[in-house]
Amino acid sequence: MFLTRSEYDRGVNTFSPEGRLFQVEYAIEAIKLGSTAVGVATKEGVILAVEKRITSPLLEPRSIEKVMEIDEHIGCAMSGLTADARTLIDHARAETQSHRFTYNEPMTVESCTQSLCDLALRFGEDGEDSMSRPFGVALLIAGWDESGPCLYHTDPSGTFVKYEAKAIGSGSEGAQSSLQEHYNKDLTLKEGETLALSTLKQVMEEKVTATNVDIAIVAPKFHLLTDEEIQEVIDRL
Amino acid sequence: MLGPAPGPPAAHVPYAGESSVPGAAGHKFDVPVDGPAKHTNDPYVTGTSVLGIKYKDGVLIAADTLASYGSTIRYKSIERLHKVNDHTLLGASGEISDYQYISNLLEELATDDFNHDDGLQLNPKEIYAYLTRVLYNRRNKFDPLWNSLVIGGVKNGKSFLGVVGMIGAAYEDDHVATGFGNHLARPIFRSEHRPDMTEDEGVALLEKCLRVLYYRDKQSINKVQVAKVTEKGIEISRPYALASEWSYQAFVDPTKGAEGSW
Amino acid sequence: MDKGPHGHVERPSWSPYDNNGGTAVAVAGEDYCVIAADTRMSTGFSILTRDHTKLFKVSDKCVLASAGFQADAKTLQKTLDARHQQYQHKHNKEISCPAMAQLLSNTLYYKRFFPYYTFNLLGGLDNEGKGCVYTYDAIGSYERTGYSCQGSGQQLVMPVLDNQLKSASPLVLPAVSSATPLSEAEAMDLIKDTFASAGERDIYTGDAVEIIIINRKGIRKEVLPLKKD
Repeated sequence: MFLTRSEYDRGVNTFSPEGRLFQVEYAIEAIKLGSTAVGVATKEGVILAVEKRITSPLLEPRSIEKVMEIDEHIGCAMSGLTADARTLIDHARAETQSHRFTYNEPMTVESCTQSLCDLALRFGEDGEDSMSRPFGVALLIAGWDESGPCLYHTDPSGTFVKYEAKAIGSGSEGAQSSLQEHYNKDLTLKEGETLALSTLKQVMEEKVTATNVDIAIVAPKFHLLTDEEIQEVIDRL
Repeated sequence: MLGPAPGPPAAHVPYAGESSVPGAAGHKFDVPVDGPAKHTNDPYVTGTSVLGIKYKDGVLIAADTLASYGSTIRYKSIERLHKVNDHTLLGASGEISDYQYISNLLEELATDDFNHDDGLQLNPKEIYAYLTRVLYNRRNKFDPLWNSLVIGGVKNGKSFLGVVGMIGAAYEDDHVATGFGNHLARPIFRSEHRPDMTEDEGVALLEKCLRVLYYRDKQSINKVQVAKVTEKGIEISRPYALASEWSYQAFVDPTKGAEGSW
Repeated sequence: MDKGPHGHVERPSWSPYDNNGGTAVAVAGEDYCVIAADTRMSTGFSILTRDHTKLFKVSDKCVLASAGFQADAKTLQKTLDARHQQYQHKHNKEISCPAMAQLLSNTLYYKRFFPYYTFNLLGGLDNEGKGCVYTYDAIGSYERTGYSCQGSGQQLVMPVLDNQLKSASPLVLPAVSSATPLSEAEAMDLIKDTFASAGERDIYTGDAVEIIIINRKGIRKEVLPLKKD
């Protein structure tokens, strides 16, 4: 069959003549529609901050979950199709628990990220549980292991990169340049929280409140901040 | 069937104190009573001891050519030394049919090596490791290959000598012997063997041990083969007879000094 | 065919197991671990070889000693070695001794209903560089201790170790270090004595003892000849 140029974005694993995988690229585009998420790694711990889009006054903000715990020492923020992230996080939770069962030690953050990316790229294969398309979500993975605090970014292509500070989602461009300007290696955890939230604030349309953002820290254990704790950070801005 | 030759497996009735829990001490692993036996849980036609020693230029392995059916001398010219490849030799004791099956496996391995046409062959240690896994995997299926195998070889100036048992237990040594040989030949090896022996000394030592075995192991005969592996390759002797001495007074007149009443 | 005591015909029955004997001892100190095993391999009243190592080096910080059935021990070593290779590829690091300890326990337990007939000691250094000894039963129960003994000489050696190295009760609070107070040289002497003693009365222990010493400087091996009778 003759394939026109535009038909190279039909099969999820079909390369275009220019060597591109359109479906993967579209999935990466999908993330740019998602809510903004910011991650900051400091020497005292890693901070994740995400905005929650409260699209209706009748919406229960606490039901929006965009920061999740993978293991005691690993947390994850997401942007894009958050439903897709569930599959990935379920997988990561199983992997980290299985590692504890087998080796009686926590999994390293890099290994956990690697196993997530292995799954992210395992789309379009035959089989019951296989995903038919790329996962339309990017993740910020914050963790603390034997080599200290660290932050990883993953995208639908299964690529992962380590960052000191990273923003994803619709406001990521502005947020990233702001992070680049204000980040330094000597930030304390508190300063990191402030940086993450102020960066988020800059790109949010709404005014920041304790209900329309989620903040989590890994220092060295995962902790999702309570409304009171978030308010403290807001008051510091 | 004549005498106590092995027959079809008899029903095994657990007796008092015997465990019926698989793996527990005292438990007997038997085949089902009904239907044809599909596992070799006792051997039928068997070869006795295989002896092996390291010497100056490599390895010598020896065995007699008897295949017994219980205590019956069934086949007198069964060769139990097998050339695996240019530098590996196998000697087998135990069930002859299982040995022939193992020979076929090794033949396939050697054929594969040949077909690769790269001039490479498995080395003796690899053959030994392979056979260890074959025997161990069969014991895991409760369907053992009823053999003790001696593997000898020389490659890249290093000689190798090892034994694999029927449940996969394996070891290397400068001198080895299976079955009765472990009781009768190895004490002689321990006092007389040196790794720097000449070929003549080595063959003489093996013949001495084979003769002792011939006198004391009723499942052995004096028709034997000795094979050598050196850097140059493998030579397996034709079967030959060991001289034996029966003119001792006790043999000539066994009842002398113990006269019966008849 | 021989008639058994109950009248029915008995054949020499086949067993998938054999006990090839052997004794292993390990002692951990604050910054070292000494792990040792004799080199005799037996079956019944016969010695198969006087030079068979029961020690297996998993990594530079972790050594396994296995007595019992040689074929199972070999299979266990090969399995753990393969698992260690996979671990290194996946996680870009050598496995730690405590992680290998858990993996060994799982590996043994997965064969709970057709066990590896092996009696294991795992010795090495933990993530803090402290000596550790893990002692097992054949189906994977395990415990971290400061010293232990496994194999055919266990009944002879263990009481001596208990007498010389009274370990702190695990019930004491705050928890007391599991490592023994001995110096490395004292631990070596003690281990040599236990093997000389076990070799006197246990027919499955003898010929030679291999001793591996793991400390912050690295790993080294000594071999001490034992009586061959």
